Amino acid sequence: MKLLALFFRRFLAHKRRLLGGLLAVPLTRLADIAVTLVIGDAINSLQTGGGIDAINQALLWLTAYALAQAVFSFLQRWWVVSTSRFVERDLKQELFDKLSRLPFTFHTESRSGDLVSRLTSDVEHVRMFLGPGLMFALGGLVMLPVTLVLLLRLNAGLALTMAIPLAIMGLSFRWLTPRLHASSKAVQEGIGEISHRAQENFAGIRVVKGFAREGQQAERFADASKTNLNNQVRLARERGLAHAITATSSQLTMVVILLIGGRAMIRGELGYGDTLIFIDLTLKLFWPIITLGWLAGMYPRATAAAARVDEILSRDVEIRDPVAPREASGPAGEFRLRDVSYTYPGSEEPAVSKIDLDVPAGSVLGIVGPTGCGKSTLLHLFGRLYDSQGTIQQGTVPLDELRLADVRGPLGYVPQDSFLFSDTWTGNVCFGAAVAPDAERLRELAELVCIDREVDAFPDGYEQLIGERGVTLSGGQRQRTCIARALARDPAVLILDDALSAVDTQTEAKLIDHLHTAGQERTVIIAAHRLSSVRAADQILVLSADGTPEALGRHAELAEGTGWYADSWRRQQAREELEEL
Amino acid sequence: MSRFKSSYDEDVVATKAWDSLLLWRLLHWARPHWGQFIISLLILVTLFAVQLGGPYVWRLALDGPVKAVVEGGDEATIAGALSHLDLLVLIYAGLVLVQGMLSYLEVAQLARTGQVVIHDLRSKLFAHIQELDITFFDERPTGSLVTRVTSDIENLSELFTSGLVVLFFDVFKIIALVAILFWIDFELALVVAALTPVLVLVSLLFRGGARRGFRQVRAQLARLNGYLQEVLSGVRVVQVFHREERVSKRFGDLLQPYLEANLRTLWLFAFFFPAISLTVFLIQGAALKVAGGQIVAGELDFGAFYQFWIYLALLVSPVRELGERYNVLQAAFASAERVFQIFDTTPSIAAPDDATAPPPPGAGDRVRFEDVSFSYVEGSEVLSDLSFEIGAGQTVAIVGATGAGKSTVVNLLLRFHDPSHGRILFDAVDLRELDPHALREQCGLVLQDDFLFEGSVRENIVMGRESVSEASLERALRMSCANDLVERLPQGLDEPMRERGGRLSTGERQLLAIARALAGDPRLVILDEATASVDSGTEARIEEATQNLLSGRCALVIAHRLSTIRRADLILVLHHGELRESGTHQELLERDGIYARLHAMQFSE
Repeated sequence: MKLLALFFRRFLAHKRRLLGGLLAVPLTRLADIAVTLVIGDAINSLQTGGGIDAINQALLWLTAYALAQAVFSFLQRWWVVSTSRFVERDLKQELFDKLSRLPFTFHTESRSGDLVSRLTSDVEHVRMFLGPGLMFALGGLVMLPVTLVLLLRLNAGLALTMAIPLAIMGLSFRWLTPRLHASSKAVQEGIGEISHRAQENFAGIRVVKGFAREGQQAERFADASKTNLNNQVRLARERGLAHAITATSSQLTMVVILLIGGRAMIRGELGYGDTLIFIDLTLKLFWPIITLGWLAGMYPRATAAAARVDEILSRDVEIRDPVAPREASGPAGEFRLRDVSYTYPGSEEPAVSKIDLDVPAGSVLGIVGPTGCGKSTLLHLFGRLYDSQGTIQQGTVPLDELRLADVRGPLGYVPQDSFLFSDTWTGNVCFGAAVAPDAERLRELAELVCIDREVDAFPDGYEQLIGERGVTLSGGQRQRTCIARALARDPAVLILDDALSAVDTQTEAKLIDHLHTAGQERTVIIAAHRLSSVRAADQILVLSADGTPEALGRHAELAEGTGWYADSWRRQQAREELEEL
Repeated sequence: MSRFKSSYDEDVVATKAWDSLLLWRLLHWARPHWGQFIISLLILVTLFAVQLGGPYVWRLALDGPVKAVVEGGDEATIAGALSHLDLLVLIYAGLVLVQGMLSYLEVAQLARTGQVVIHDLRSKLFAHIQELDITFFDERPTGSLVTRVTSDIENLSELFTSGLVVLFFDVFKIIALVAILFWIDFELALVVAALTPVLVLVSLLFRGGARRGFRQVRAQLARLNGYLQEVLSGVRVVQVFHREERVSKRFGDLLQPYLEANLRTLWLFAFFFPAISLTVFLIQGAALKVAGGQIVAGELDFGAFYQFWIYLALLVSPVRELGERYNVLQAAFASAERVFQIFDTTPSIAAPDDATAPPPPGAGDRVRFEDVSFSYVEGSEVLSDLSFEIGAGQTVAIVGATGAGKSTVVNLLLRFHDPSHGRILFDAVDLRELDPHALREQCGLVLQDDFLFEGSVRENIVMGRESVSEASLERALRMSCANDLVERLPQGLDEPMRERGGRLSTGERQLLAIARALAGDPRLVILDEATASVDSGTEARIEEATQNLLSGRCALVIAHRLSTIRRADLILVLHHGELRESGTHQELLERDGIYARLHAMQFSE
């Protein structure tokens, strides 16, 4: 409850809209009740011989109340529910901002599907409960006592008796809602299982067909489908129960009205119109009562959702600006690493360790080693994506004493997975640039990364949409676009994480040449599988499989040796020869 | 992705809400379950009749005992009226209980009917998809096929239940109620009948708008979530480039249209509900006016008015729902179209009508490729004029760089594709004359990074083959050196495998894949060796398992292990789809050609 109240405070940010809406709720209900009373009174006056004048008078009032009801009903929904939509927007924005700032370790630990569901279904549960839920609850809470008082005044015995089936109905919904929820969750899971089996099967179709197991797999699938059938039938039974309870209790109320009201009418204590009021008001009480029961059943789900949302919002952003940041000094392209190591949370062994390294400004550093030796991890440390042990200095100041903007501002980073946004080519390249490059500069960048001809060939040229809804780039094109994006920042340090693997060797050589000449002052750090990428580096760090340095030197020295580097170099040469056959 | 045919995307949307041909096909599917439909209809009709009973009881009560007394009566009349009333109340209570039971049955039975049909349809659709050609799967994203057997099928279930049955019944209800209203009081009913079209119109207009509105909301939400997913997967780039502010603003820019789409839909809803209730109030007012006149003139009794009044309330909900049913129908027809599109696809690789049984197992299993060429796209061959023979009990190894056409050879032998030219013989029988299932049952297949299904280790090895006995399972485990591995698992053979064999190492998965192939005691082995490096202990076991698998069998191997290659009776060196060199390991090394280079690249230690 405390949590939900916390979220409700966000609603107060839209005070006028919310208050207007909350005021419209009781007015809607009152107008609705008034319509019934007008009709009932008109019938009563017919019975007592009021004649047609009474009807005409009543029609005037009926129209007025009906219009008022319509207007207030519109306003309550529009104001209250729209407030909940505004709050949804604010909440989503806040969650998004938080997520984009949470450290990288948080993201590797969480499943993105789970994060998305917090931003979608959890936010929706909270919104439903506090928005429309509140509106219905308030409506019900106004409707119940007012109706009760009115009916008590008409005929106390009848009012009290018919309250019984209504109360039973409200309570049974409170009981039913969690069950309905559990069953519908089972149905959802069953459908998930069906979709999972289909997915697995279609993805592994070669094995299925290769072993001629189509029949058996179809049976397995049919089993899942059968389970779903049973789940669906169970859910339908519970829904049927809910439906039957509603129908029976509403009709039982009518029976009670006929029994007690009929007697009262026979005794002349109740008019035709009064009985009609009983019937009509009972029907109108129905939904509010069901909604109250429903809300009570929804409550646990809403609080759970609120807790999951809050878990993200209250999470600490561990990697952030220091309290008393120092100004950057010395060249931003100069690094000094002393006994640097990093261990992933939850892991026993460090991913990289014992790294001692000096990277002069304007030099080229290559990092190589077998798969999983920690190349990417080491690269991440330069941008303080992780906080490492040991010290890393940029210029003369340790990274964790600088503002994040000063650490990351000078970096141009090319990720291993060639991540690009679904945006235009230009939009992607401009992503990191403080000043958006003009057309001429864009062209220059495209030439630098040897992609200018391909971009010209796109149907929409530089404005070509990339990704699912646009053209699909080849691996090499993606990598080169990523490099252009990094260069667009005119970075003091360019970091390439195995970013040339999908580029053919000739283009690679040209590209590396461009990278060197484009910025004389620029430091370049390249992690690579293909050794030709680091061949021209000023120094090459060879990491061994356990993340410790194995060797440090220039290509010529390393290739002559007997270690991993020399071995790999020979194999890669053989492959190149083969490719040329 | 460009290789996918876009025509199979979700974009096939039926523009019409009614399609008799599709409906006919759907009814054909429902035919075996017609009993269920009859029961559903019976329940609906009975329920409706019972529903009509209640208001009639009111009429009998008001115009009977109540009226008798109101118009003046002594103690005796009152007593008589009271007992008359009690009788009516009793009947009423009985009706209510029956109605309660029927309401339960209505929901439960309707859902059951739809789900039974759907289970049937879904299972058959899945079985049908599985029989389609490999190219069918290669051309389509798995996700869109999954959609066919999930959400499209679910839309169809809506068609069978709330769509067809309820739609017909709602229309029947509306007609019946209007007729009854006319029967009760012609003049009064005329007023209602004049105003009801307004209700229908409001409902239809609203549903049309709501459907468009929801579509917009869904589209905006998809964009929003798409961007969120994107930023989550590229959060590294965002942080290193220090662009948190920028993505936040972009997200805000996407949130705004989402909010607006929601507000537009909300506006429609906020407008619709009051509009409906206002129309109902006006109808009631008009009815009150006319009825009032009639009552004053003594032409109408209060009881009949009551009955009329309550039937009027019963009329509102089916009319209000009409628009919704229309939407359901439209979605269902679109799904039906996509589903039938798949049913209409027939596999091109299937057993010929006069399929010969595979030659009986004998000492002489052999495979011949005769001038085999293959191309996916006309004009660009991925394999040209390949001829070779795998003699009885022999192993033929294929080597070559990536893209040399190695997997194509395997795909052709398994008859995942048919050659464009030439033919492939299994014991002198053309593969095209065989039932592909019968052929594949003779094969033991081991794929690179082999696919393990969710299920126990046992299920993964046996794969539901009746021919695999407990004894042959044990033998297979022994021969594939997977015994220790299975013993180490907490639940042994019953250990559940997670997605794609999750917790097992690559090497262990390979051993299980070999065991799977061995368990069927195949006549023909097709092995695509894994390239991933494994620790030396596992490596030795894989080597031994491979030898056990190959020995004495006719085998085609895409080889990456030196030991396998050395033992092969014949090595084929493929380069760009052509057979460039062939011979034994020694012969080829001496030739110092492509093979020698490949060898240097992969095995120089």
